Amino acid sequence: MSDQEWRRVHPVTPFVRGWAVIVALLFIVAQQSFDGVPYGEILDDVARLWWVFALGVLGLLVVIFGYAALAWRMTSYAVDDDAAHLRKGILFRQQRHARLDRLQAVDVRQPLLARIFGLAELTLEVAGGTDSAVAIGFLRLDEATALRADLLARAAGVKARRSGTAPATAAAAGAGGTATATVGTGDGTGSAVADVGAPDADAPDGAAPDAAAPEAPAGPDAPADQPPDTDDAPAAVLAAPVEAPENQVYEVPPGRLVASLVRLPAVWLALVALVAVGVVVAVTRNVGILFSMLPALLGVATFLFNRFAGEFGFRAAVSPDGIRLRHGLLETRAQTIPPGRVQAIELTQGIWWRGKDWWRIKVNVAGYGIEGTDTQSVLLPVGPREEALTALWLVLPELGTPDPAALVDEGLTGDSRTDTSFTTSPRRARILDPLTWRRNGFVVTDRALLLRGGRLTRRLAVVPHERTQSLGLGQGPWQRRRGVASFTVHSTPGPISPAVHHLDAPDAARLIAEQAVRARTARAHQTPERWMETVAAVAAASGDDRPEQDAGTPPGPAPVRPEGDA
Amino acid sequence: MTSLDPAAEPTGPFDPAGVTWDRVSPRLITARLVVLALMLGVPIIACAIVAVLVTPWVWIPAGVLAALLLWAVLLVPRQVRAMGYAERDDDLLIRKGILFRQLVVVPYGRMQFVDVEAGPLDRKLGIAKVQLHTAAASTDAVIPGLAPDEAERLRDRLTARGEARLAGL
Repeated sequence: MSDQEWRRVHPVTPFVRGWAVIVALLFIVAQQSFDGVPYGEILDDVARLWWVFALGVLGLLVVIFGYAALAWRMTSYAVDDDAAHLRKGILFRQQRHARLDRLQAVDVRQPLLARIFGLAELTLEVAGGTDSAVAIGFLRLDEATALRADLLARAAGVKARRSGTAPATAAAAGAGGTATATVGTGDGTGSAVADVGAPDADAPDGAAPDAAAPEAPAGPDAPADQPPDTDDAPAAVLAAPVEAPENQVYEVPPGRLVASLVRLPAVWLALVALVAVGVVVAVTRNVGILFSMLPALLGVATFLFNRFAGEFGFRAAVSPDGIRLRHGLLETRAQTIPPGRVQAIELTQGIWWRGKDWWRIKVNVAGYGIEGTDTQSVLLPVGPREEALTALWLVLPELGTPDPAALVDEGLTGDSRTDTSFTTSPRRARILDPLTWRRNGFVVTDRALLLRGGRLTRRLAVVPHERTQSLGLGQGPWQRRRGVASFTVHSTPGPISPAVHHLDAPDAARLIAEQAVRARTARAHQTPERWMETVAAVAAASGDDRPEQDAGTPPGPAPVRPEGDA
Repeated sequence: MTSLDPAAEPTGPFDPAGVTWDRVSPRLITARLVVLALMLGVPIIACAIVAVLVTPWVWIPAGVLAALLLWAVLLVPRQVRAMGYAERDDDLLIRKGILFRQLVVVPYGRMQFVDVEAGPLDRKLGIAKVQLHTAAASTDAVIPGLAPDEAERLRDRLTARGEARLAGL
């Protein structure tokens, strides 16, 4: 814990967090001050009672500021090589340590009010159930992004030791000094020790432009990751941890988002209901019925608005630190999901998205859990099939099959009549599942298990073998009579519960037996928790050839951070 | 232990080839029946009293409850006998159910923690419940009705094997 150094959040934090409470309190004081005074006498009384009101507000302000100052003083955070630490609470103190090798995702969230102040909250997601995330905030946006880069670098196993005392902000530019960044030391990978970015400028001159240049195409409102004065090579590498370069892969234009929302069945149901009620009102001349519709309409409107606002301006980018997702209209969110943290992927297509061949992709990430279903677990809100495939390759660069696109196409739209590789329900399952029995099916590749289902709403779930938690098989009495069984993959909590129903019983038995073995062997070869350690080893062994990445192509299995560029 | 040879077809989806099942303790039958008898017996007696004192119509719910109890008495022993678990080299199998059958395969390396629980009745009867937790909330891996020493042995063995095969998420 030598380089652990406690830092404070931004002083405005308590106000940003508690603005609703503060406004409510002020309102109550204002109301109480004038309470019981008849309106006619207000003007007289204002002259007489203004000091009561002023005193009330003053007292309240003192209390609020006192509380805010105390809350601010009691909140601090620190980051070292192994964990992120957070201390908070006035009466009930809370200390939280999140191990960085268990880091599942990092979100930078900016609620509307925080955006006005230029602040952001950084959330470290660890797989610990509800409310296990470590929320550090609020910080200035550049501080938050620098901290994110630092956290991801450390979580990746790129150990950055800084001698300067300044936090990873613009101030660090002054901490030229003797800092070094060491890649791949310790933890059994001792063979791969590489000192990079040493301040005595023996790093090649190309390093700095390489590190800084990929920031440029990241979009107009990409956060200011680096202080502007870090153009000189050594400082850029070692002062603040440089945000890993990223390439935008796809974005969802607002027009498409609106069109996709209009094509949701909920909208049409609401419209039909509205028309029906309109007819009823016209016939019975009873307008009251219209008001009975109000809650349902409000519900639909809220749902649509939340979806629109949450997924507005959705952009996905790829970087060595993982997948970057940015979205939001009022509250913006920039998510980073490191490699190997996606537990399951599901592509779905509602019935009215078929004409456009649009797909929606959700993912299971351990930290996001159930409560993040609508805000955090979306990988692609809506997109044509090519884009959906791109998004899939983002998560799973290797599907482990010679022709992945054809296989996924079959999974998306095929059924038992057109299948070449999927194993589907037998015909005798038809009576149990008259609609979808042709679609129910699975296929196993070297890297993942693909489970297909759904006829009206088509579904394809993809679970990488090494992400399988446990497996289940179930059979009810009717299924036994028909000789079929349902197979389930247990994944971490999230929007996806991968399952395929009514498989031929011997198929299901073979699948569960073989899948257990496959999952085990895949785990033995999976990416390490600190995902850059092997990369560092490879980079050190093979010199400094850094794979070039173009936008739109899937990321290579071994991307390299700028730090590794020695 | 499991054969991946397609020629060696397992006899049924819930009986993987080469797996010998460990049964849970028959004392679980007593435990479950005692709980059921309390849950159903008390209302039956209450109904009977009301029926005698107030109106004979209340014999109907009493009869329904008694029929339920009889059915449970017949069913529970079969249910308990249908439960089984098997420790394989790399995973634990748990099987249960007669009408609705279930089989769960939990790899040791995926285990996050193991619970051992025993209520007052369980302790009196000398049984305990072992529950395995993975990172997936949907993993339903419970072995009820183990003898306490077997539960402890299983717990230690699972923990040891889990550590040996520990993996992240």
